[in-house]
Amino acid sequence: MPADILTGYNVHTDADRAKMLGAMGKETIADLFTEVPEHLRVDGLLDLPPAMTEWQLERHIRELAGRNDTTIDHLSFLGGGAYEHHVPAVIDAIATRGEFLTAYTPYQPEMAQGILRFLHDFQITMGRLLGLPAVNCSVYDGATALAESAWMTCRITGKKHLLIAESIWVEYQTVLETYLRGRGVTIEVVRSDEESGQIDSDHLSECIQSETSAFLFQSPNRYGVVENMTQIGNICHDQGIMNVMASYPILFGLKKSPGDSGVDIAVCEGQPLGMHLNAGGPYLGIIATKTEFEGHLPGRIVGECNDLKGEDALALVKEEREQHVARHEATSHICSNQANLALRALIYLSLLGERGFRNVAELSARKARYLEQRLTAVEGVSRVFSGPFFNEFLLNLPRPAADVLATLREQKIFGGIPMTQLDPEAPDNQLLIAVTETKSQADLDHMVEVFAAAIEI
Amino acid sequence: MTPDSIYTKSRPGVSGASIVDHDFALGGSLDDLCAPEDLRDQPIGLPELSEIDVVRHFTNLSRQAHGVDNGPYPLGSCTMKYNPKRNDKLAMLDGFGKAHPHQPADTLSGVWDLLWKLQNGIAEITGMDAVTLQPAAGAHGEFTGLLVMKKHFEKLGEKRKTILIPDTAHGTNPASAAMCGFTCRIIPTNDKGLMDLESFEEHLNDDVAGLMITNPSTLGLFEENIELIAEKIHDNGSLLYYDGANLNAIMGLIRPGDMGFDVIHINTHKTLSTPHGGGGPGAGPCGVKKFLEPYLPTPVVRPVDGIPQPDYDRPEAVGKVKTFFGHIEVLIRAYCYILANGPIGLKTATENAVLNANYMKHQLGDLLPSVFPQNCMHECLLHGGSLEVRGADFVKRLIDFGVHPPTLVGAGCVHFAEEFDEAMLIEPTETESVVSLDFVIEQFRKVAREAAVAPYMIETAPHHASTAKVIHNEAAWMSIYEEPED
Repeated sequence: MPADILTGYNVHTDADRAKMLGAMGKETIADLFTEVPEHLRVDGLLDLPPAMTEWQLERHIRELAGRNDTTIDHLSFLGGGAYEHHVPAVIDAIATRGEFLTAYTPYQPEMAQGILRFLHDFQITMGRLLGLPAVNCSVYDGATALAESAWMTCRITGKKHLLIAESIWVEYQTVLETYLRGRGVTIEVVRSDEESGQIDSDHLSECIQSETSAFLFQSPNRYGVVENMTQIGNICHDQGIMNVMASYPILFGLKKSPGDSGVDIAVCEGQPLGMHLNAGGPYLGIIATKTEFEGHLPGRIVGECNDLKGEDALALVKEEREQHVARHEATSHICSNQANLALRALIYLSLLGERGFRNVAELSARKARYLEQRLTAVEGVSRVFSGPFFNEFLLNLPRPAADVLATLREQKIFGGIPMTQLDPEAPDNQLLIAVTETKSQADLDHMVEVFAAAIEI
Repeated sequence: MTPDSIYTKSRPGVSGASIVDHDFALGGSLDDLCAPEDLRDQPIGLPELSEIDVVRHFTNLSRQAHGVDNGPYPLGSCTMKYNPKRNDKLAMLDGFGKAHPHQPADTLSGVWDLLWKLQNGIAEITGMDAVTLQPAAGAHGEFTGLLVMKKHFEKLGEKRKTILIPDTAHGTNPASAAMCGFTCRIIPTNDKGLMDLESFEEHLNDDVAGLMITNPSTLGLFEENIELIAEKIHDNGSLLYYDGANLNAIMGLIRPGDMGFDVIHINTHKTLSTPHGGGGPGAGPCGVKKFLEPYLPTPVVRPVDGIPQPDYDRPEAVGKVKTFFGHIEVLIRAYCYILANGPIGLKTATENAVLNANYMKHQLGDLLPSVFPQNCMHECLLHGGSLEVRGADFVKRLIDFGVHPPTLVGAGCVHFAEEFDEAMLIEPTETESVVSLDFVIEQFRKVAREAAVAPYMIETAPHHASTAKVIHNEAAWMSIYEEPED
């Protein structure tokens, strides 16, 4: 046996192995693999680097991490679906506890009431935030939440024609198309108004057909413009279709919930609720809908039931919708979800409470307004659309956005996302800027100064 | 008693976080945001607690949860192996955690380098040519792989609509196939626990796009006929899909690519030690042979001019299955696991997984005879039929003794045919020592002895858990909405 057998996470001594094999009447490990054809086995060892000690590994991973610039060493105004809100230390401390982090899906409720409780409270909390009470334990991210919801509307209505707003994130549209292509769903795009950047409601009305299941839109949309949910809800309901809105959960600290504004299914990218940016993932897909559509939800749902003594207990319920029971007829294939991130979102909202959450929303909006006013005072800079915004806005620059951003980067500022990065067909002088509560007035003033200088070059 | 909802501890007006900035006054009107009637005029109804009350609430919840860190977790097919702490620490470094996905690509070279090396590591372990790390979980990896297969036939101008799936497959297999628009045909299992070859051949025709198979299967058995199956599938012009849920049984010893598989996915929490988080997040890398590489979702990470980076120029790609690049924080852990083990460590892990499962099977053989006579791989399927009590009751008593129950019908992610109703699927994993295995075995024996003299103790178990045995009923559904007591 090689001397470095004790690499990795091996728990057995040679004596243990010999004892266990002996108990079974076997001599070698190879005796356990007799069912595997000899000629299929790897000849020798895999071509991988030799095992690293913990300190070698740490040095290597730190070297890789150190090669990335971050939102700590740069002043960042990046958004585009992922936002730099403050993540309270409590969240990391709690969510990484081994009891939570190293548990499986709560299949054995008697051993998992703590997990079931936070999932159930997550469902209740999202139901309140979004004004729609039927909520599952999460899906992968905002884009897959939208795609799953789109299929829900097809199941509910029995129709396979979808309308989507032209102004959703391009990436969400691509994911949606990837999810639905095999299911024979046709997708038609509804225009935005060129002036306001909001959905062209006349065009929406025109596009609705007898075979249309739903209209899918996003607010704030990819131009940062907040849509008129109530008006869209009315149009959809008057013309007999469902509507699905993707949104930024922090917005509802200030605005009425989707459920109170005529939305049938609300989906969110939950990342702003206490998740680190993590270079893109894992994030949190949230779906909330009306009680009448509950049976079409994908994934896990926790419900209250009783134990043998008649006392309250929690368990996974309504599993007949799910893949392990319904198989090819399941509402979705999803098995693993984002439970540990649902925990993060619940801790975040519990910690901030009513007032703290509203303050995050309001500070983000006010700081964004401050920056928008100062930047649009720079000659040649203006907003692309006149519609209302929350904390992200799209500017026309007198020069290509990439040039301006390159200058900002020299001053360690990530000045926003060039629209061409999100949509290759967009004009090259458009810049999308996001602001959160984490930016001080001095940060914003510094941005304005460097930005103005970059425009003038 | 189930622990109280956080809402029962809410105290109006309290906040555990100070969210203020004295340069920006709060509370004025924000009427440019939307029409005044659309502004929030009622509270959301969020819980309101001080910071310490939040910390205590969730810490107490954690005491009513059971992870691998707490004790043995032989949940068959779910592979609850130890999740190394060093991986958690390194995955949370600010250089990754505080990096924004929309940063210029050249500011994230450490991320791309890591993903590229991980792709190569997984390709080497699985014998595939190219890997995408975008899928969010195993089922998502299946979906991605099936989309790639669909695209392959579209390019060939063939309209194959059928996917063959053994009846022992994970439920995600047929569900993912249905999402891609495939029709599923289910192949029965023969009395040796392997896929019924006769039935397989009967179903094989020019409408078959592929066969999805888990090897070893969810019965813990190696599919001995795999080469023959691969040959017949390929002769038929179809593709062979590997559900890598059980790759941990063969890692470093046999490679799916060498067995003839064209497309694979793996579950990083099963094979590469990433934590399952009470349900997720996972990661489901998908690997393919070279001829299918152009169809992998956009972007792929690969060297351009020698420097790894995301490549968006993918005209043939199936699209995109999620936002951004994948579950980076999970994938870092998978990468660390491969490096900490090295090729010898990975092989040792596999050997130990198979050794441990066979040891459990052997040591429990008199009490719970093995359903199949041959060696098992990473997990063993044992008959509970000769017990004095129902299997579903039996395993609940294990909870009182600190052992998580094994997988049974309705208590795991595995679908079993009816004839296995009283069977238990036990997967100790490689990270349980012989001392721990002997402890688990003794708890099984203790429960069996008790079943003979006091079956009511088993039937009413558990007795020392946070709740008594939970009763599922139809009313449970409506109560997901029940408002907590304020």
